[in-house]
Amino acid sequence: MTPAQSRDAALDALGKCRQQIESIDHELVTLLAKRVALSKEIGAMKKVAGLPTLDPAREAEVIRRAASLARDTGLNDEKVRDIFWHVIGLSRAAQVGE
Amino acid sequence: MIIITRANISDAELDAIRERIEQRGMRTHLSRGVERTIIGCIGDESLLAEVPLRSMPGVEDVVPVLKPYKLASREFAASPTIVRVGDDPSRPGRVAAFGGKSIAVIAGPCSVEGQEMLHASAEAVRDAGGVMLRGGAFKPRTSPYAFQGLGNTALKMLADVRRSTGMPVVTEVMDPRQIDSVAEHADMLQVGARNMQNFSLLSELGRVKRPILLKRGLSATIKELLMAAEYIMAQGNRDVVLCERGIRTFEQATRNTLDVAAVPVLKRETHLPVIVDPSHAGGVADLVAPLSFAAIAAGADGLIVEVHPDPANALSDGDQSLSFEGFRTLMQRLVPFAEAAGRSLGTNAAKEAAA
Repeated sequence: MTPAQSRDAALDALGKCRQQIESIDHELVTLLAKRVALSKEIGAMKKVAGLPTLDPAREAEVIRRAASLARDTGLNDEKVRDIFWHVIGLSRAAQVGE
Repeated sequence: MIIITRANISDAELDAIRERIEQRGMRTHLSRGVERTIIGCIGDESLLAEVPLRSMPGVEDVVPVLKPYKLASREFAASPTIVRVGDDPSRPGRVAAFGGKSIAVIAGPCSVEGQEMLHASAEAVRDAGGVMLRGGAFKPRTSPYAFQGLGNTALKMLADVRRSTGMPVVTEVMDPRQIDSVAEHADMLQVGARNMQNFSLLSELGRVKRPILLKRGLSATIKELLMAAEYIMAQGNRDVVLCERGIRTFEQATRNTLDVAAVPVLKRETHLPVIVDPSHAGGVADLVAPLSFAAIAAGADGLIVEVHPDPANALSDGDQSLSFEGFRTLMQRLVPFAEAAGRSLGTNAAKEAAA
């Protein structure tokens, strides 16, 4: 391959990877929306059952699971912890009806 | 409260301890050192009163942090914090590191007066061994009639000069409404002495993803300075550099009185880097060198110095600004003091950080 050809091939591969990332981002946001919708349902059920909306023990469990999974997949677990505290924040807000 | 763990603790054991704390509605912060790992507990400590943390696997000791500042306190981190400025992958250029072995010198004009003088200052500072450029865009002046700074125009000039010279820039933010645009253009945000206890500003800065340079208030105690840092850190931003810039005393021969003792006291109390501003402390150019020597001898991690292409015609603080030549001489004279303190000086900070 000439340098020009290999450059074209690299640009082509780059474009494909970017497309994949776009569709992953799309999935991520869709999944977040699903998670928030479920949290809303849970919030309503908790109300009926007379349970408190905030459940720190459950949140701590979610964080622990995410951190451990992150390590298994080779991701920085501290960063994933931070991300999940934000995800939990979204769900919390949905449950308290913000 | 901090939890000191055994050296050989496993990730699963660390997770289990953190879960026990987070179950109570608190947050945790992990600090890994060479010899030990520390879990810091953030939140209302009374929530942990009945949790038998000491008996959990991997726990060596549970120590209450008695100081009113927790996140900023020495105990909270396993080793001194190194704050890296300009370390944003989307921005090419150099990185300045504060708190490591090398002493980082920031220099530049008190206020940005124009593109040309800023560019010339950046090059002069860089070539003399400075690692960062300073330049005021918004100036908190004692008189409402004094030059107030070029504002957003100056921010754009700072960003341009950063791009062309690779020098990270620091500039002051006075108002929460300015934070977004300052963070967009600068690499480090400065809280000026007059705003050290502006708690709403500090809290907002805690949510910014850029390091903060926090200057000591004119009449603030060391404890108050650390509490101000705590405000920023409590919101999540852990990259805070403290700056001693002289305090107000009865003495009138100097603009302020440089509290040299604040440097070792702060180094004992906190894991955060500490730098000194000899220009504002002394208030005259002649005092910049001796106060810089004292600062380095006392253990400061860096300096912030005012430099101007033409000090006699500066729009603000001309009396205390060094000329380019004066700054070059200062940098050369600092070398033996840095060596005597077991440190190195100058561009090393950027090189070391980039490695």
